[in-house]
Amino acid sequence: MLLEAQNVSKAFGSFRAVAGADLAVEEGEIIGLIGPNGAGKSTFFNCIAGDTLPTTGRIIFDGQDVTRASPEAHARAGIGRTFQVPATFQDMTVLDNVMVGAFLRHSHRNDARDHARQIVELTGLRPDQPGRSLGTPGRKRLGIARVLATGPRLLLLDESLAGLTPTELQEAIALVRRIHAMGITIVIVEHIMEVIMTLTKRVLVFNQGHVIASGTPEAVVRDEAVIEAYLGRAHRRPPPVPPPQAGEG
Amino acid sequence: MKRILSPLGRLILPHLRGRIGWALLAAGLLLYPLVFTGAFYRDVGVTFLLAAISASAWNIVGGYAGQVSVGHSMFFGLGAYTPLLFYSLWGWSPMAGIPAGIALSIALAVVIGMPTFRLTGHYFSMATIAVAELIRIFTSTWTFVGAAIGLQGPATARGWWDLTFRGELPYYYIFLAVLGVVLFTTAAIERRRFGFYLRAIKSSERAARSLGVPVRRTKMQALALSAAFTSVAGSLYVTKTGFIDPDSGFGILISVQMVIVAALGGAGLLFGPLLGAAILIPLQTATNSWFGGGGSGLTYILYGGIIVVIARFEPGGLLELWHRVVPERWRRAYAA
Repeated sequence: MLLEAQNVSKAFGSFRAVAGADLAVEEGEIIGLIGPNGAGKSTFFNCIAGDTLPTTGRIIFDGQDVTRASPEAHARAGIGRTFQVPATFQDMTVLDNVMVGAFLRHSHRNDARDHARQIVELTGLRPDQPGRSLGTPGRKRLGIARVLATGPRLLLLDESLAGLTPTELQEAIALVRRIHAMGITIVIVEHIMEVIMTLTKRVLVFNQGHVIASGTPEAVVRDEAVIEAYLGRAHRRPPPVPPPQAGEG
Repeated sequence: MKRILSPLGRLILPHLRGRIGWALLAAGLLLYPLVFTGAFYRDVGVTFLLAAISASAWNIVGGYAGQVSVGHSMFFGLGAYTPLLFYSLWGWSPMAGIPAGIALSIALAVVIGMPTFRLTGHYFSMATIAVAELIRIFTSTWTFVGAAIGLQGPATARGWWDLTFRGELPYYYIFLAVLGVVLFTTAAIERRRFGFYLRAIKSSERAARSLGVPVRRTKMQALALSAAFTSVAGSLYVTKTGFIDPDSGFGILISVQMVIVAALGGAGLLFGPLLGAAILIPLQTATNSWFGGGGSGLTYILYGGIIVVIARFEPGGLLELWHRVVPERWRRAYAA
């Protein structure tokens, strides 16, 4: 088992954003985390990445307890993450951005640059382009390239494929496949069902802080509890107006 | 022929031109006091060098790491007070006080950095102002360090080790050597992992952390290094003036000048502080000499005006403007 999150809870005041969530990831898997907005998947994701300290529970990575470890310690241990809103280093070129990640395992500049160059090539970016001139798809791609350069064993992708055009989406899916083929285990938070259906073999569905279903994507989308979480409960006597949908999710 | 030359040129020219740039700058600075021999011009030169050293020291943490300290006078003051304190207590050469000032400044940087680096943006800036002001007020009531009157250095030199010279020339070359050390150190940092980490922290601490950058430690190292160089600047200042009081050591104007000089030229750029000092110091000296003693208040107005103009029109400083205006092809050859 590469990653094991046991009974993870996170409370903000009296609000329980995540309530006793479990997740076990085998080496080499791609796992999807889905759920309506505010379901707690992002909070859970941040707990795994070390950005948020869980209120209860333990997170074990490769036999080590990383529950209370800092984000930089997570990166060193081999857990990489991207951000929903990619925080590009604006004043640096694409290559320099990626080099920041590469420096984690290569302390010499030339080694770091060589490694970063390979990664940039893999992700299809232009190394000399200034960070600030990238559009959203480029920034998301750069976010992935940067974390890839840190040499992660587990990659946590936080809506890295949202906001892309259909063509860009196909390219991004291909990129995730290539990363997976490199032997990197992937946990992906995503709203776009197309991404989840094509990439993942196993999905966890969050609602109101709980994991309400897990299984293959095909099975999960037919699950009663999942349909109810997304669309609300069907009434015996349909009301005059259709039931409200839960957010954009 | 052109096709063979151009990749070769692209490979060699940047290095060559970079070296030539350094050499031209060094030659210009070395020759300046020999060409402009008047005492006034030499004095401007020395003041320029001191401002460039201080602002370059500030630039490491304020420019590259983006942690805008407005309290760097605390390190400048420590560097200024320590040599004179040693002299007035035991009659030691100011040179003995310089390393002590550096050590004290690094210690202060660590003590200040631990709580204040938890703050970001304006909160960090305000915290540094508060600490520097506290130190200034404390110093002006502490008789051990001369209280409001301050401390005096050796009036006449007992030997070269007192670093007290008649003319401006020795100061000029000592200051120039120190500026060289600061710039070479900064240039070395720029190319290394440390420099990449600083720039990443400036842009986004959260993203830097997620890539394994030890943010707290890196910021602390930057502040310590910056404090050490700022302290040296303070020590150099007193070797020249032979006198220090709370305002000229720990005054807020000292801190503000470092910020403005760096920001005017380009914060986070190697030669930004140099350019800023080259513009600001002659301007300041001119207003001071035109308006006499009453002109010192004008410095504040000048600083205020520059802050407004930079913040409104060119937050990246003048070098940034140069980078944008000058065509890229032409510029690439000049990049170091």
